[in-house]
Formats: sequence, structure tokens, C-alpha cells
Amino acid sequence: MIKQNMNVEEALAGLLIKYEIKPVKPFHLEKKKATEGLVLLPGYEFIEQVTGDNEIPLLPWRLRRKFVELKKIVDDSVIEDACLYRFCCMGSKDKWTLASLFYRELDLFEFIGNSRVTAVNTIMADNEAGSAIATLESGVICSIEVSTQVPPGTVMVDRHEIIASRGVASDQPVDTQVPMSSIYCYTKNGENRFTDTDFELFDLDDLQIDQVRSAFQVLKNPDLGKQWHKQHTHLMQLVQAVFESDKKHEKIKI
Amino acid sequence: MRPVKIAMLSLTHGHTRKYYQTLNDNPKLDWVAVYAEDETVRKNFLAWGYNVPCYLTEKEMFEKHPDIEAVVMASANIKHIGQFRECAKRGIHVLCMKIPTFDMQEYDEIISLVKESGIVCQVELEMHYNPVVKRLYELAAANVLGKISSINATNITLSPIWAFPWQGIPEDSYGKRIKLKKGDHRFRGGALADHPHIFDLIRWMTGSDFDFIYAEAGPNIRKDIQVEDNLLVNGKMKNGVSFLLDPSWSRLEERLKVPAPGWEIFPKRMEVNVTVSGENGIMLVDCFGPNVYHNGKPNDRYTVQYTYFDEWIGLMDEFVSCIREKKTPKINLEWHRKTIQAMNACYDSISKGNVVHI
Repeated sequence: MIKQNMNVEEALAGLLIKYEIKPVKPFHLEKKKATEGLVLLPGYEFIEQVTGDNEIPLLPWRLRRKFVELKKIVDDSVIEDACLYRFCCMGSKDKWTLASLFYRELDLFEFIGNSRVTAVNTIMADNEAGSAIATLESGVICSIEVSTQVPPGTVMVDRHEIIASRGVASDQPVDTQVPMSSIYCYTKNGENRFTDTDFELFDLDDLQIDQVRSAFQVLKNPDLGKQWHKQHTHLMQLVQAVFESDKKHEKIKI
Repeated sequence: MRPVKIAMLSLTHGHTRKYYQTLNDNPKLDWVAVYAEDETVRKNFLAWGYNVPCYLTEKEMFEKHPDIEAVVMASANIKHIGQFRECAKRGIHVLCMKIPTFDMQEYDEIISLVKESGIVCQVELEMHYNPVVKRLYELAAANVLGKISSINATNITLSPIWAFPWQGIPEDSYGKRIKLKKGDHRFRGGALADHPHIFDLIRWMTGSDFDFIYAEAGPNIRKDIQVEDNLLVNGKMKNGVSFLLDPSWSRLEERLKVPAPGWEIFPKRMEVNVTVSGENGIMLVDCFGPNVYHNGKPNDRYTVQYTYFDEWIGLMDEFVSCIREKKTPKINLEWHRKTIQAMNACYDSISKGNVVHI
């Protein structure tokens, strides 16, 4: 219906020009194009390999506004003494794997929870669905439900709820099951939904926006790339523990 | 491109604080000074921690910074005419708040001042830089719903008058003290005067102008204020599209002097929702959703914490490009005149108790 015609690399280049950021090296946001320069991809794209100096594992969800706001609610003690996190993330297998979903959700748990995961217990089924109970250093726990059995072409279904001694925060309104959209269009062609969140990157989808925004932050602040590199190494260890736990039927301490 | 040297005037408008981040971050802008209307306003500004000189008179600011090229006119509606005269005299471009004036003679004077001095004047209707609204306009332009029959829209908020008192003073907001209707203790200048966006939006979407309007004000939710706090508007555009608009202050607030967390009593402090009905179907739009939600501090009430994109980024980008490339802003004074005219027609309709043809 509406054509998406902006390329992610062009979009990033546009932002860099607008905000007068000069990257130290050429950059690529797609693996196949990378012959030289920096390769900036979501960290889960590097799960299967050791990353070189020019490969920057991004943690793009950290730039998504809803997670920024949830983190702010926790950091500013709008809700006090968080005890229990309940995360759910279901994506289609043309875009996601169980490993990539766990990678994202575990990072979000540590990012919003401001702590490190110290233990995880996981149960998987049919290589397409799984659940984990993760524990932070502080003792705060989190349930993580993941699945790749959402049909291709379906938008990701996710939910992030934080329950505290004082208050609850969530990215879903009370009494709902699925993420909301900004626009619902009902015509003879059925239902169409639109959720546009970025005026400067209009027409990119959510994953592209997150990638461009996070790559922009890394090019603007190269130290962030170093921090994320370290976090990526840690997350790979966590993801490995997730699968090991399922295989051994036991809780894995990190 | 050479950055535009920009200042802010008054700092008493409800949108004032929304500009700070963009003025600070945008490399196309050089934020050189602000003028605060009084010591309290100055203290509030300084508390933000921006390293920008703050003056207590416009004159002193302009004298100390003769290089100011543009201003954000963040003042009460009644101050606009005087500030326009000053800016036109000095050749300073103006980003004006959403209501230049309700007085159509004054409005035409402002148009002349801008034209004769050659300055750029953009009217702040920030929703044009909201990505959901942009998608809405694209879907309408793509004719997804076919011929549009009706557009219903809300622009409902809490009342800002405790933090921005001029919005509750008829002279400061509407420009004059005019009774809402015979026998009514209230005056023009309340919720309607705060909410031009949906009047503008319907003109953009339909490419048409207002034909006739009917408006009715309900009994005030807040019994102790001088201006209307809720009303409903319906009517037809010249192309036959019908509309129903709700530009009320129908979300209750804590009476804070400075906006802060916990301002809202109703969970969502501001809503612009649009329903479009056309020959091929319908469209439901929430311009400020979805969000995140909590029931934490300060009041342990269920609260919507917004996640919408900063509309002031696109707004200031356009303003800068109009100045440097000598372009006419999308929301210019001539375009906006018909929106103000329609809002005045709403007040006339409330006063007459009947439909007003425009």
C-alpha cells in the first residue's frame, strides 16, 4: 500500500550529515556489502562467530523509546524496588531464532534491571519455543517466553512488565494481550495497522529504525561500541547457558 | 549551512520547555539568549541548566545580542502583536505559538508586518511533524478509504491554567473579555483557544475549508475558572465531509505551578484521536500511542508515560530551512487564518446558540 523506499545506509548517512557527525571509517549496515570499514549489525547476527575489530555488535532495542522509558521509570524510582520482571517475545522465523530472541530479552533484562544475570533455567520445545527464568545479582527474577512460531510477515508480539514493591510498569496497557498500533485501517482488503514512531526515519520499519539509531549512537560515541562489544561477549555466554540449561535440565550459574 | 542565531521570548507559553532540547541539540541552530517575563520564569529556566544568557527585558536581550536572527515567540496570545511589531522592525524571523491572535484586524496587521519586513513567520502546529499524523495524511492522499464521508477528532487535554495562568485569563488568551453567551458567567479563551490542531488537521486531510459550524459548551468541569473548559463542535466542510470535534480540557489535573510527574489525574494527560469514515472503510488513529504505562510515583495512579517522537525536531528543521532557503512555511499566516476564523466561528455559534456559516 505504502512503498518503503529508504535504504538504511542512506538513512544513517542522512542523520550523520544533519547532526554533523563524521564517522572515523566507512560503515555498512548489511553483512553482504562489507568489504572494508565498520560493519554495524544487531549483536545476534554475530552469535555464531568471533567478532573482529571492525564488527560492531549493536544492541538496537536499547534505543527503542518504549524501553528507554521503561528504564527511566526504574532508574528514576517511579516504581520502587522492582522484584519480578515478566518478558515475552514472539517473532517469525524469517527474522528471528530462539537464540536471537533470548539474546535480545536477556540484554533488556540487564539493561532495564541495571544488573547482571547470574543464573538461568531454560526449557525448550521443538527448537521453536522456550521459556527461561533468569536471576539477577540482586535476586530479582524474570520470566522470558520466546517463540518463533509466529507466521512470517506477522509483526513481533512482545510484552515487558516490571512488578515492584511500589507500582507496576509495562509496555502494554492494562487488560490487553497484544501490542497496540497507532492506526487501524479497516477496508474491504481487511485490517491494516501502522505504527510510526520516528519522523526523521519515516518509512523504515521498527527493526531498521532501531538499527539506524543504534549505529548512529555508536558512530557518534565510539566508546559505546566498545561497551557493547563487551556486553555482546557476555550475552553470547548467557545464550550458551540458556541452551545448556535446556540440554542438561538444570539451572546454569554464570 | 550557517547556524541560525535564535532566541526565545517570554517563556510563558505551555510549549516553552519543549523547545529547549531541540534548540540545544540542533547544529543548524545557535541558541544565543532568552528573555524571561519575570523572576519566577527566569528561575524556572535556569533550573534546566542550559548555558544560555537569560534577560528580564526584551530590550536588553536585543541590545546585547544584535545578531539574533530569529525568535521562538513563547508568550501569551495577547503579547504577540507587540512582539511581532518589534521583530518586524528588527527584521527578526518568528516562530509563533499556535494562536497568533484571535482578533482578525490584528491578524491582518501581523500578515502585513511580515510581508513588508520580509521576515519568515511560521506558526507552531507541531502535529504536522508527528509521524502518525504524517502516515494519516499519506493514507488519505493514497485514497485508501475512497471518498471520505466524515472525520471525527479529539484534542483533549488537562487544563494548563495553573502552570500557565494567562490561559485562564480571557484578555490574555482571547485578547478581549467577551462573554461566552448571554447569561453565562464564563468568557472566551479557554479550552477551544488551546486546541487549534484538529481544525487545521481536517483542512489538510480534506483539502477543503469549513462551510458551517455548530458549537456548544457544556457546564464547566472546573467550577472556579473564568473560561470554558469543555465544548463540542460539529459541522460540514465545503466538500461535504462532516466532522465532529472535541477540543476540551476534559482530563483533570493536579493544580501544579510547574508541570511535573503526577500532573495528570486521568491516566492520559493528552489525546489526539481521529476516526475517518469513507466509502471503502474506516480508520482509527491515535496520534500519541502506543506508550508505556505505570502506577508508580508520585501518586501511585495508573499513568501513561508517552513515547511519541519529539515533534519539535521537524518543526525547527522546517523553520531553519525556510529562513536559509527563503521558503514559505507550510503553516504560514495566510494558511492559518482560516483555522482561526473557524475557531472564532465556534465562539460565535456558542454565543448565538445556532449554526454559523463561514
